[in-house]
Amino acid sequence: MGTVEDARRGAGRIYGALTGPEVPSPRPRSRSAGPDRVRTIVRTAGEILITLGVVVLLFVVYEVYVTDVISAGKQQDATEALDDQWQTTEPDQERVDHFDGLQPGEGFAKMYIPAFGTDFHFTIVEGTSDKALEIGPGHYLDTPYPGQPGNFAVAGHRVGKGAPFNDLDLLTSCDAIIVESRNAWYIYRVLPMKDEAGRWEQVKQDKPRCNVTGSQGRAQQVEPLKGEYTDTHGMEIVRPSEGAVIADVPHKPNAKVNKADQVALLTLTTCHPKFSDRQRLIVHATLVDQWAKNPDQPDSRPAELKEG
Amino acid sequence: MYAWIWRHLPGPVAVRVGIAAVLVAGAVALLMFVVFPWLEPVLPFNNVTAE
Repeated sequence: MGTVEDARRGAGRIYGALTGPEVPSPRPRSRSAGPDRVRTIVRTAGEILITLGVVVLLFVVYEVYVTDVISAGKQQDATEALDDQWQTTEPDQERVDHFDGLQPGEGFAKMYIPAFGTDFHFTIVEGTSDKALEIGPGHYLDTPYPGQPGNFAVAGHRVGKGAPFNDLDLLTSCDAIIVESRNAWYIYRVLPMKDEAGRWEQVKQDKPRCNVTGSQGRAQQVEPLKGEYTDTHGMEIVRPSEGAVIADVPHKPNAKVNKADQVALLTLTTCHPKFSDRQRLIVHATLVDQWAKNPDQPDSRPAELKEG
Repeated sequence: MYAWIWRHLPGPVAVRVGIAAVLVAGAVALLMFVVFPWLEPVLPFNNVTAE
């Protein structure tokens, strides 16, 4: 509207100049009182727009940095609570994990992804509510727990709020994802990608990580899955409605596979592309090794943590 | 708008600058700790779960 007013005033001036000073201006009142009021309106509108722009920029700062700081504190609290619990409670006699009676937002395991750096670790909390995911990666309720047959599924933020899964797209087949619980270590490795599955023998040759002898002396073999699992690959990008990616047999929630015959999978989900919720980035990994912690050597850690 | 606020701040320039800084800090804090946390879940940026 400012532009229109300006144009009118400009036109008036040209008209006045062409016809001489004795011709009265068509809008004399607007020439005396008008410009001040118009200027105020235009300036205020401009100030409001600039302010809104600054607010949008502040929101970006909030989303990318401030939520990180807030979540870092919550994650640290959860990790301390978990360490405290592990140190003060007696380990299970048979050194078997029981994951019952977890409260939403309570930490129960730690996740390490050495491909993201040897210092990359997050405490996994129970549940995938907004509140839980502010603390750290969240375990989907009603999916199995680490080491169990079926699909141990975990969601995490890609941007802000600690962004545990920021670089999830950089994982490659056979990268280790290590889960530590009260009593045990679980080594998962990312499954072959879709384009690798057909020529896996060849791919495997070039990737020493795909054929490792674990720190407990067992061979950690990664092979494309067969049978009902042929559609389960290392990484995929799906629509947000594709909830079946966290089914025990991914994409086949109705598949009839006996619990004992189910593959122990780990599935990570996050948003895709970054800053968007249009799609979901999914990573599937398979359990290749696990062992109970030795109470006599509480500080012994898997060599896979140093793969980097 | 900002000129109007500036004219209505009391005291000499130094005091006005101080009050203005406090007002700006208050507005930023209100956004960061009240408005944005409320707004954020409504916006389609950060949904990470597959339903």
